[in-house]
Amino acid sequence: MTDQLFFEDVEPGDEVRPLLVTVDQTQMFFFSAATYNGHRIHYDTNWATTVEGYDDVLVQGPLQSALLARALTDWIGGRGRLVRYSVQNRAVAYPGEELTFGGVVTAKRVDGGVPLVDVDIAGRRGETVLMPGTATVALPRREDGE
Amino acid sequence: MTEDSLIDADSAARVGTVAARATGEVHRLQWQRWAAAVGDHNPLWFDPDYAQASGYDDVICPPLFLQYAVLGVAALADLRPDGSSGAVSGGLSFPRAPRRMAGGEASTFHLPAYHRDEVEMTRTISSIVEKQGRSGRFVLVTWHTAYRNQDGALLAEATTSMIARP
Repeated sequence: MTDQLFFEDVEPGDEVRPLLVTVDQTQMFFFSAATYNGHRIHYDTNWATTVEGYDDVLVQGPLQSALLARALTDWIGGRGRLVRYSVQNRAVAYPGEELTFGGVVTAKRVDGGVPLVDVDIAGRRGETVLMPGTATVALPRREDGE
Repeated sequence: MTEDSLIDADSAARVGTVAARATGEVHRLQWQRWAAAVGDHNPLWFDPDYAQASGYDDVICPPLFLQYAVLGVAALADLRPDGSSGAVSGGLSFPRAPRRMAGGEASTFHLPAYHRDEVEMTRTISSIVEKQGRSGRFVLVTWHTAYRNQDGALLAEATTSMIARP
């Protein structure tokens, strides 16, 4: 299903294959259910607009974070491993907006014999960065291949 | 701490102490429902043969799901008016800085979690500091969270922050 990415194939400047998602309220409902999240700001439009002052219900930050991590784990394949993952919530997203999750390789290194790749990652709406972050993934080497 | 500090003495005294402890069982069906809600159909979470061919014993829990495996039970009567449970912050409140927003989260994943692993989360308050930002003073709270399995092995660690403003 997913192609395997190898350490040798990656260079600084390479892009993480971007993931484009337009979150709708059905997906938000299922995500709140799956994370046992009762926060009304994600499903009660009247609460979100009247009490909290937003234009609509908000896409869950943890859903954006999970989509960004999905872009990474899709990219690195089954034998790649997410080692470190760090993100910040910077701006809100509303349902119906097309969001892009991706990143750019910043460095390659070997730590304790483990081949690691550092990536600058971000969830975006157009040019607006909603969720910037950094991640480190471990990748297999070609010579270890099956 | 000065008289006009945003940080009350009770909160300040809790630095270094455990803010929350929780245990839970990692469950395949729960993480698969979560993954489906993310549209994440990675076979590592779903297909034992694929996971084994990738070097694991079985399907593994998506790293970002681990935090939900230890969520407790929220009584409806105890919810805040906004529907949230407030359990994650360990009940910290800053009367002089009531407006809170999530800061960042940085996680390190050490080992995979498997179906029916018993996970224990320990969340410690690392620091509470007052800062001066562009839009005024705020309180920055930082927690350290460790997740261990039934063998005491460290699965994951996270550093989480929250900003509280007057």
